Amino acid sequence: MNAPVLPPAVSPVAARGPAVAFERVSLLLGRTQILAGIDLSIEAGTVHAIVGPNGGGKSSLVRCLLGQAPHGGTVRIDWPGAPGRIGYVPQALEFDRGLPMTVMDFLSALVTQRPAFLPPKAPVRAAILAALAEVGMEGKAGRRMGALSGGERQRVMLAQGLMPAPDLLVLDEPMAALDEAGALIFETLVGALAARGTTVVWIEHDLAAVRRLADRVTGLSRGVLFDGVPEAELTPERVLALFSHRAGGAA
Amino acid sequence: MSTGFEAFRQWVQALAEGGYLPPSLAYGFAVNALLAGLIAGPVLGGLGTLVVVKRHAFFSEAVGHAALTGVAIGILAGEPYTGPYGALFGYCLIFGIALNYLRNRTGLSADTLIGVFLSMSLALGASILLVLAGRINIHILENVLFGSILTVSGTDIAILAGVGLVVLALTAFFFNRFMAASFNPTLASVRGVPVKALDYLFVMLVTVVTVASVKIIGAILVGALLVIPAAAARTVSRSLKGFVALSVLFALVATLAGILIPMELDLPVPSGAAIILCAGILFLGCTAARAVLPALKGDPA
Repeated sequence: MNAPVLPPAVSPVAARGPAVAFERVSLLLGRTQILAGIDLSIEAGTVHAIVGPNGGGKSSLVRCLLGQAPHGGTVRIDWPGAPGRIGYVPQALEFDRGLPMTVMDFLSALVTQRPAFLPPKAPVRAAILAALAEVGMEGKAGRRMGALSGGERQRVMLAQGLMPAPDLLVLDEPMAALDEAGALIFETLVGALAARGTTVVWIEHDLAAVRRLADRVTGLSRGVLFDGVPEAELTPERVLALFSHRAGGAA
Repeated sequence: MSTGFEAFRQWVQALAEGGYLPPSLAYGFAVNALLAGLIAGPVLGGLGTLVVVKRHAFFSEAVGHAALTGVAIGILAGEPYTGPYGALFGYCLIFGIALNYLRNRTGLSADTLIGVFLSMSLALGASILLVLAGRINIHILENVLFGSILTVSGTDIAILAGVGLVVLALTAFFFNRFMAASFNPTLASVRGVPVKALDYLFVMLVTVVTVASVKIIGAILVGALLVIPAAAARTVSRSLKGFVALSVLFALVATLAGILIPMELDLPVPSGAAIILCAGILFLGCTAARAVLPALKGDPA
């Protein structure tokens, strides 16, 4: 967390993201089998989308990847060299809407250790402003977090995922509240990250966006239903089967 | 430290005698109380912002009430009734840590669990106090419940100063991580924040600062000084900077006013009650200001 914060597009590092391997990963919460027998490999430097019905275990798979769930089996992150940086863009934030906290306060609380009630140091401030500019939020650093629209909040979440520049970026439904302009910015960003060799693991419900951007796609509903390149895998029959699949009646 | 403290007391007493400060500060005990207030106010106000952000207000109240039982246990165990710190810190820390431990293991919501713990603790405290009733002057309990400036000793101030310094340093050092953990625990973990350990640290910070402040504010009301200044600051500030600065300021003003006004006006009001009334007035003022001044309502949500 103390690492220097680099504005991502300004410093195109020759970073290459890791490969990720899930081997027989299962997750049982209470009596509910959330995930069962997941074998999945994510190649280094690819944009890998995960699609599937609500309750199909997409977010849980990501939590296993991030080491935040008591799963069975193994999740291996194979870094090309020393372990790099993981960025994570969660689906939702828990905070009180009335909290007097600006966008700048919020981001500096996440990316530095200097207490966020003090003004951030100049380089950190510059990095935050650069990341905000990258998601099309320039000039909004002083807005209150609680006063942002859902789409704007999602852009801020995206901005924090870019600081420090990630080698593995994990996105949980990042486009859910984005408007058209936001979606365009998001697609440009993912493209830029992919060009730099960052591995992107991306949970998404918008299949058209997946077709446009993802190198590979996995259909997930408790288990892996399909896995491959989007043009081949996302056939109407497969999609119908995926979204009408009931995860063992447990979901 | 005691020589510095002695010098401070003499300086304040000299200023009071010279007419530069309120005349009641010519008394040694009044300076002790003032010093305790100067330490407790800002620390409680600063930590209070996180109490509000993390929605731990009810927890803070409960820890304050646990202090009553802690005092009872201490007296039962033979500690001096003017400062049974061993039992106070021991019992309240066990109370806070046990609560935090069970919070994620019972499936109950935090407020339900706190309600259960609070009642059990008060019942235990009440039972012990009745056992003790024959042995001690039960009126000293008024001091424990509502605070008293008459009994603040050098030891009390030393403990408060030590605790205050540690709590302030840890609060500032971990401030961002406490915030991040409250926004999204998974995100905080990915960013290297030890979320669970910090939860324990936070309840311990709240507990020790509460216990150290019981002497001047009293067990019943000490939790309020963690909540009211921060709540007042929240209504009128627009950034974290304003939030924290105003919360510290409000807590300081309330503490000093609550100690000095009753002395100056010769009112027989316990210090804790006076402090919380002052904080309450500040809170009402802030709410009124927010209602009247549209600029304070912030940008439309």
